[in-house]
Amino acid sequence: MLSCKELVARSSDFLDKQLSFRQRLAVRRHLLACKNCRRFIKQMRLSQAVLRQLPQGQNAELDSLAAKLAELRRQHS
Amino acid sequence: MNYPTDSALLSRLLAGEQKAFRELVATYQGAMRAVAFAIVGSRNADEVVQDAWLAVVRNLEGFQGRASLKTWLLTITANTAKTRLKHNRREVLLDDISSPHGSIGDERFADDGHWLLAPYAWHQDTPEALLTEAELRECLEKTLASLSELQGSVLHLREREGLELEEICNLLQVSLSNVRVLLHRARLKVFATLEHFEETGQC
Repeated sequence: MLSCKELVARSSDFLDKQLSFRQRLAVRRHLLACKNCRRFIKQMRLSQAVLRQLPQGQNAELDSLAAKLAELRRQHS
Repeated sequence: MNYPTDSALLSRLLAGEQKAFRELVATYQGAMRAVAFAIVGSRNADEVVQDAWLAVVRNLEGFQGRASLKTWLLTITANTAKTRLKHNRREVLLDDISSPHGSIGDERFADDGHWLLAPYAWHQDTPEALLTEAELRECLEKTLASLSELQGSVLHLREREGLELEEICNLLQVSLSNVRVLLHRARLKVFATLEHFEETGQC
């Protein structure tokens, strides 16, 4: 059976669906039996969601860039 | 055209509508910066993105809609960056830079591969709840800033922009196995940052 350490090493490939059918099965079997690793995978998914929702600033900068590009486009046509 | 939302936006862009450009820039600037970062590094990334935007505006008529607008923009950015990179591309740096909050390393496991220090239970279980803590946001920014340019970009393109691994390989000209390694190590650092914060309540 897959060890916890091996499961952690394969966790990203598991989340990205990069594992073969057999490897995927081994991960699923381990998860059924191991509460710690279930928690780990759940927290990895949560970390991904946190990154997705992390706000990104720099609005003023984008406004002036957009104005410049629109102006350029109008000159161009 | 296969991408109806792209096509609506495109006609507004062609008309030079400023609001349309604002939408375009807000949607894609982050991904374009990540691509430029990975290829030319932080020092030249902003200039490459600027040049890429100019190329985009000049070539708007040439956009055929065979790919999505996103793929088209990111390909232009990657090409602009590669042109800038006149000397040979540096080797992909897989040596890991250490992160302020570490990672999930061997020290967490016993010799038999079982957890020695199991994952700590977090107080919050939604991203919204976690992100209400301003200190945690800053803490994450620090971790992200500590990643190598390539690693940070791979993480950004995958997690924030939702690119497929193959798209990332093609844009950055990095092998699939390297992308997988970079991504995994970056995720463990983010994980360790969140865990540390949940465990200690501080950065």
